Amino acid sequence: MRRGFLYAIGALLLTAFIILNDLVDDWGRLSGGMENLSVFIQESMWPPNWSVLEAQSYPVCENKIEFFCSVGYIGMMETIKIAFVATILGFIGALCLSSFAAKNLMPMRIAFPFRTLLSATRSLPSLIWAIIFVIVIGFGPLAGVLAMTFYTIGYLGKLQYETYEGMPSDSLEVSKAMGLSHPAIFTSVVIPETGNHLLSQLMFMFEYNVRHGTVIGIVGAGGIGYYINTYLKLLQYDKVLALLILIFVVVILIDLLSLMLRSFVTDEGDVRQPKWLSFLMKLRKRDESTE
Amino acid sequence: MSELLLKLTNLNVGFSEDLVQDVSLEVRSGEIIAVLGQSGIGKTTLIRTIAGLVQPRQGSVELNLPEHGGLGYIPQRLGLVRHASVYHNVNLGARASLPWFKGSREERARRVTSAIAAMGLEEKTLEPIRRLSGGQLRRVATARALAQQPKLLLADEFLSELDHTTVDVVVDAVKTLTDDGHSLVMVEHHEENVEMIATRIWLIENQQLIDMTIDEWHKKMEEEE
Repeated sequence: MRRGFLYAIGALLLTAFIILNDLVDDWGRLSGGMENLSVFIQESMWPPNWSVLEAQSYPVCENKIEFFCSVGYIGMMETIKIAFVATILGFIGALCLSSFAAKNLMPMRIAFPFRTLLSATRSLPSLIWAIIFVIVIGFGPLAGVLAMTFYTIGYLGKLQYETYEGMPSDSLEVSKAMGLSHPAIFTSVVIPETGNHLLSQLMFMFEYNVRHGTVIGIVGAGGIGYYINTYLKLLQYDKVLALLILIFVVVILIDLLSLMLRSFVTDEGDVRQPKWLSFLMKLRKRDESTE
Repeated sequence: MSELLLKLTNLNVGFSEDLVQDVSLEVRSGEIIAVLGQSGIGKTTLIRTIAGLVQPRQGSVELNLPEHGGLGYIPQRLGLVRHASVYHNVNLGARASLPWFKGSREERARRVTSAIAAMGLEEKTLEPIRRLSGGQLRRVATARALAQQPKLLLADEFLSELDHTTVDVVVDAVKTLTDDGHSLVMVEHHEENVEMIATRIWLIENQQLIDMTIDEWHKKMEEEE
């Protein structure tokens, strides 16, 4: 069994390498590549320019704490706001559609059109949605919100209906036999049973949307991406790096928040709602035990 | 005159091949039927076919039940919502027979609390299902059926894993339903439980279902001994 598994992995790797070899026309290009990257980072990017966290010269900062008038804070906050609104709207939209797309909740003749709709929404990347909405409603955060919402519906919708299809069938069967309505089954059986996964997907999508705020900002849909795009055009790569580090920190914070929220619905979790302090203490204890 | 609740006509049940063939039977209100037979002979598949969860291979299942919550079902694995409380699970039964447009929230709450009390689970009302023992879980599933008050209840080994005292409590609670004109079709392995509750026996042997009275069943058992 184990040997068969190793052979299968070996065969897959070999196939991947043969395909890669077919795609790459000149392996010689790899030589000196790392050196180029090293030169670029040392000369243009490093050290990061933290002036992006200082107040801008215009408009005049009226806040006592200068950080709140900085490009980093303003851009990041706009990105977080866009990502938050888009994630919530997209999550609710996806919940509505995915409940009709799951094969174990609906007959295939109903599920198939909803699956097709979700595939269509997902097949356009958020960048293309952003370009479409910038054309339709002009530059700004609203275009970003709409672009991310549409992409979130398609992406989360697929994850959600696959989660429903993987849930244990016995509680669903009982509900169907008892004659509960589709909304009652969905809200009272499916959501509680899959809550942990749905919450995890929601937080992942929020994190994804924050990261993608950088991309859709480049086409004028608002957020920190607008500033990154500006600094890229001005060849100020050290400022770009500082903003990328800021995004990285925010992504880590979102991951911690996700861990905390999911502890509400895990099997072993306490029924009482965890407090921030107890949660952080748990993390510290875990760190100590691993040391 | 007792009311016809279920009519099986020339029914064959199974998956790739027939497990039970040519079943033609009726269930009337107030009856308690025990489905007996060896493991893997098709008892659960028969119950699931009646519940509409498995397509009959041939023949028909006709249910003469109220539109909302007329049929109750307790499967072997109970089908409880693991990430929810006892109250939430029992309330599903009440919601099946009293949807929002048919009954008030207070009426549903009354049914739920009295079903939980009948099963002696008052202290566990807000406890999540995953924290309960096997016997407590069976009582929750029974409480869900009590709150639903289905005209026909299908139960698959719902008395297993229960101690004698709890079996008495559950049987008494189910009998209040059947005394009221509701019916129960249950898969059961323990003869003492069958003796205690059943009014009719469906014995599955060699792909055939034999419908018999308790006395006929006793006689058959004596002959076999």
